[in-house]
Amino acid sequence: MLEHIELFFKSIFIDNMVFAVFLGMCSYLAVSKKVATAVGLGAAVIFVLAVTVPLNWLLDQYLLRDGALAWLGPEYADYNLSFLSFILFIATIATMVQLVEIVVEKFSPALYNSLGIFLPLIAVNCAILGGSLFMQARDIPTLGLALNYGISSGIGWFLAILAIAAIREKIRYSNVPAPLRGLGITFIITGLMGIGFQSFGGMLTGDNDPPEGTETTTAEKTEEKELIEKEMEEDGKSVSYNDIIKE
Amino acid sequence: MHELKLKYQGKKMAPAFNAFHTFLYTPNETTHPGGTHVKGADDLKRTMNTVITALIPILLFSFYNAGYQHYSAINGFPENFSVMEHFITWDNFWLGFITVIPLVVVSYGVGLLVEFIFAVIKGHEVEEGYLVTGMLVPLIVPVDTPLWMLAVAVVFGVVIGKEVFGGTGMNILNPALTIRAFLFFAYPTWMSGDKVWVHGAKEGVTQAGSADAISGETILGYLAQNNEAAVASKFSISDMFFGFIPGSVGETSTFLILIGGLFLIFSKIASWRIMVSAVIGALVMGLIFNGVVDAGWIPDYSKFYGLMQFDFWKHLIVGGLAFGIVYMATDPVTGSQTTRGKWIYGFFIGFISVMIRVFNPGYPEGVFLAILLMNVFAPTIDHYVVRGNVKRRMKRLKNAVILPKDSDSKAEELKVETV
Repeated sequence: MLEHIELFFKSIFIDNMVFAVFLGMCSYLAVSKKVATAVGLGAAVIFVLAVTVPLNWLLDQYLLRDGALAWLGPEYADYNLSFLSFILFIATIATMVQLVEIVVEKFSPALYNSLGIFLPLIAVNCAILGGSLFMQARDIPTLGLALNYGISSGIGWFLAILAIAAIREKIRYSNVPAPLRGLGITFIITGLMGIGFQSFGGMLTGDNDPPEGTETTTAEKTEEKELIEKEMEEDGKSVSYNDIIKE
Repeated sequence: MHELKLKYQGKKMAPAFNAFHTFLYTPNETTHPGGTHVKGADDLKRTMNTVITALIPILLFSFYNAGYQHYSAINGFPENFSVMEHFITWDNFWLGFITVIPLVVVSYGVGLLVEFIFAVIKGHEVEEGYLVTGMLVPLIVPVDTPLWMLAVAVVFGVVIGKEVFGGTGMNILNPALTIRAFLFFAYPTWMSGDKVWVHGAKEGVTQAGSADAISGETILGYLAQNNEAAVASKFSISDMFFGFIPGSVGETSTFLILIGGLFLIFSKIASWRIMVSAVIGALVMGLIFNGVVDAGWIPDYSKFYGLMQFDFWKHLIVGGLAFGIVYMATDPVTGSQTTRGKWIYGFFIGFISVMIRVFNPGYPEGVFLAILLMNVFAPTIDHYVVRGNVKRRMKRLKNAVILPKDSDSKAEELKVETV
């Protein structure tokens, strides 16, 4: 029970999909202009993560990892198919998204309409594939925990897109310098929000080892992120990325 | 002054001049002719000046405290502490003065320079927002912060934290806290530990009678190391309350912060709702942790034990919690703007501050991060509060009975009965 709670909070706040690992940025930036649509996309992400992470956990356990095929017979015990995980995971995700879309359209047209284009978009949201790959990399031991991980990292992403959508609605009336309007300012906001979320970085780092090293590295990482973002935003200016995706 | 202003109107440096001009004098502009306008005397500059007035006692206290901590660390803490004899002395004041004033000067100098540059380029008036930020910044950094670090952080905070959003009143995060967070994450080895809180510790000034370099750990630092004995032997509760403890420049004296807070509430500058709910939040979280310790769920060798068993109300008088709640959380720009939102916002600030203090061994001081985090979520809270209000009114409207127009000319307007 305790590990469930710990994993839950950890994946919402500490390993937040957006602010800690910067995944799923494309839809996070593109669909965060209004709170209502952000909520729709966020809900869809939670749902899809909750379905695909446990499914991929099963795939990983019984098909992909080293020795996973032992249940077929002893002669298969030393196969290691983990090089296939990218293809299989993405296939699962795409299939699941299609399936969910069909089912939702059939049984709940209202929900289908409110989710609209977001559902198919999610198939290519890297936070979804990231969820499955993190699940594999972190060796999440049970199906229940995998389900928990899927839901909670979805909630983390949901919170992030909700917060930025509200902020973007708020700054709509701000006098942002013209070159920064649109994506530029959004990148900066994301960086600043990342600082806010740093408050959870290094939290619950266990009782045994002093987190001194990890502490500084995470701090440095934020700085790097800031720098990268600043550079990105400068690049954006020079190629006028803002013009490509204008509000 | 007013004539001078007219003379230079429209020139390039006019904004820079006007900034000095209106700093002390009320501008002579009146409202537009035609129609009735009410013009309050408390414009933005007056508001800012009020907050600064509330901060001045704290600044003066910090001079004495900086000196007191320095000399105490060298000579040992006085046996029979008396305020007049050991605290308010010329030596203390002078040492504090020469260590703290440079921080203030750099903060204002660099920050206002950036503001002036932006104002001149953009051709608008210099905005007053930096007045308070510039005063807050020196008060929330450790005494021995190198001035160049402060300057870099101030530039970052003002440009990225505020000017890119269009200046005062548009920013998302509190600029002073952005500056503090920048310092903290950019120079983590300098900004934490036990060396930076007392003047001279970093340069290896040695203790009288021994070869050890002096050091001054904050109370939270001691507690994070499970060293309750040191806290109990060194600092009494009244020390904590009146602020004779090491810590960031201006955050130590809860007593003066309380006075400043009351002043802000009575002058209606700051929101009492945020302050009260933040205090409640901190107390609730502290009580939960104390409950966990009392129930014996946590072993006393655990890393979190020291801070968890710390009495819940003491959280308010150590570290920067009080300062953060009174001067930073109540920032009208970055905080929640709706009444109900303020309660939620404040509560979470207190709650998360204490939670970070206890659970995050890397950051014994979580207040500024908690406020930043809630700054991020304040628009979300506001959005849902407003949505909720809209929904409630829609419901009321649906249930409302609109009476048909009276044929009498007297009751022309519609009567709406709400259910």
